[in-house]
Amino acid sequence: MLERTLIIKGRLGLHARAAARLVRVTSSFQSHVSLRRVEGDVTADAKSILSVLMLAATEGTELHVATDGVDQEEAMNAIEQLFAAGFGELETESSI
Amino acid sequence: MTQPPEEIRCKGLGVSEGIVIGQVLRMHAGTEHVYRWEVEQAEVEGECRRLRAAVGGASQQVLSIKQQAEKRFGKDHAYIFDAHLLLLEDEKLIGDIENYIIQERVNAEWAVKVIGDRLLYLYSQIQDDYLRERSADIEDVMQRLLGGFSGAVTQNRKLSGEAIIVAQDLLPSAVADLDLEYAQALATDSGGWTSHTAILARGVGIPAVVGLRDFYRRAKTGDTIIVDSTRNQVILHPSSATLKTYETETAAHAKVRGRPPRKESGPVRTTDGVAITLRANVEVPSEFNGVEIYGASGVGLYRSEFLLARRGGFVSEDEQCLAYEAVAKVAGTHGAVIRLFDLGGDNLREQFQEPEKNPALGLRAIRFVLSNEEVMRAQVRAIMRAAATGSLKIVLPMVADVSDVQRAKDIIEEEANNLREAGRRFAEVSVGVMIEVPSAVLMADNIARIVDFFELGTNDLVQYTLAVDRGNDAVADWFRTLHPAVLRSIDQSLQAAHRASIPAIVCGEMASTPAYVVLLLGLGATDLSMTPSAIPRVRRTIAGIDTGKARTVARECLECETADDVENLVRERFVQFWPQLFDASSLPQPKPKKTGQAV
Repeated sequence: MLERTLIIKGRLGLHARAAARLVRVTSSFQSHVSLRRVEGDVTADAKSILSVLMLAATEGTELHVATDGVDQEEAMNAIEQLFAAGFGELETESSI
Repeated sequence: MTQPPEEIRCKGLGVSEGIVIGQVLRMHAGTEHVYRWEVEQAEVEGECRRLRAAVGGASQQVLSIKQQAEKRFGKDHAYIFDAHLLLLEDEKLIGDIENYIIQERVNAEWAVKVIGDRLLYLYSQIQDDYLRERSADIEDVMQRLLGGFSGAVTQNRKLSGEAIIVAQDLLPSAVADLDLEYAQALATDSGGWTSHTAILARGVGIPAVVGLRDFYRRAKTGDTIIVDSTRNQVILHPSSATLKTYETETAAHAKVRGRPPRKESGPVRTTDGVAITLRANVEVPSEFNGVEIYGASGVGLYRSEFLLARRGGFVSEDEQCLAYEAVAKVAGTHGAVIRLFDLGGDNLREQFQEPEKNPALGLRAIRFVLSNEEVMRAQVRAIMRAAATGSLKIVLPMVADVSDVQRAKDIIEEEANNLREAGRRFAEVSVGVMIEVPSAVLMADNIARIVDFFELGTNDLVQYTLAVDRGNDAVADWFRTLHPAVLRSIDQSLQAAHRASIPAIVCGEMASTPAYVVLLLGLGATDLSMTPSAIPRVRRTIAGIDTGKARTVARECLECETADDVENLVRERFVQFWPQLFDASSLPQPKPKKTGQAV
């Protein structure tokens, strides 16, 4: 099992669209992926969008990520990249 | 389609001009009632199967919507539908619903409702504003899933091209979310001349027929339909003969109508030289370019609550500020009037309160914002910050007397001080009031002394003066814009503004309908705000009349006893005074079937 602590970047936090990206990525691996809020101690199955959304992770939230399985390294790398890219969210889209 | 189905004609009320032939796209109102019933042990499995089928159907829909969205807006924007799709695929969610069916032995719809509501409740507990707002996504998915049982939206796949939207009713949020570029026309079972559907359709310039009563049930997505607003009807499955007639007619229309002929802008003068200012009412960004296209002198009314409708929840101060800056930019040097959130419990999905028995007379508009002070403070801060980049004013909706105004003004001043102390860039703004309830009319002189301008919201003024719900078909005959009581209220309000030397903008549907405009001018109005597409015809009317004759007719109307008397008088005098502008068909019809029709 691999474990790492990552921080949510991106102004809007881990909202529906970002969560969707995360779930798509994690679901492409066989490994089990879990997320746990460092503060508040809520755990989520990173392959269930519902579960991820309920983390209510906002910008700056620290998440403890664990991958466990045959492709745990690749999974962790992909997740790290996604976190680093702020889930591919643009700064602000047209807000009206 | 094996055999051509029979042609069905349905009568309604044409509220936005034009004729369009196209294909039906059924739209769900999104507020279906869900009932609970118990099922036998033997039926439980069947309910679970129904659930899975509904999930499958809903997923199919989302998938096709997602694909269309990808094509139109690019992958980044389609990701939200990916979230919806993942929710439908989420084993935990679907498993919870299934377990509920099994344990409680209830129908699948009820289980969806219960689990969905639980989820929404959990979501409502989230501290972060933005994330909490996203409960709209969960709600959207739940509604789609529920729609999957009734089959109401299962065929909702033709989002690709242009379509004619058919619905029971279009909630403001649904209308705001409509891709208006792709909507060719609107046809709804309920609604009237001044319903939101009608106002938006006119704003965007697409035909609309409302009040069709029982049409939604009959139409299927993909059916051929003709929306003929000029004849107050829609035709489903038109016969080839009907189609041919209409095709000829619309081809002829296309030549005449097209884009506005030549660009005119700025104020328009009556034949006796009185300058009348024409402004635009806007609510959704798709209407913004109308300000420029139709040559409006800025924005006379920006209905800020549409900002919330589009987002399905409250919008942060910063986001509001950006939106208001965009409005200021569109309005240019003439400026824009931002109306504070004009909403109440009926607009806000129980977010703030229990449903009210009588929302029109409830905690809404100024009452709502004063009771949710933080909402108001954030909004006025956003407006004042945006006012640093362009000319903006604030108008307070639905004030009843000076006490509402005083409280609101105090808050605005406090927030100006806060911004100043915080060293923020901002500009102080003038503050006006909507005159739209009878008490404000009666107290207009007092109110006029403490505000910078009046804005007459004629739709609400008619509704509140006559105590008639403008969306209720059953009382449509009592909704009489030309009621002497309404005209007297307008007269009193304009005079109060005049005595206090403050400007008065008249907005609402009256300002966009030529026949009414003449009376407004006769009562002394010189500043009108309307849906952008109405500006050319109002401009044409004003350029052809003189205020002297208009005043004569208006004074006569004020002395009338009933709305019928006023309408008779209008029909008689208008044709006599301005035969080049008005004929019998462009004036209110003898039978009070509609409240007005454009030239």
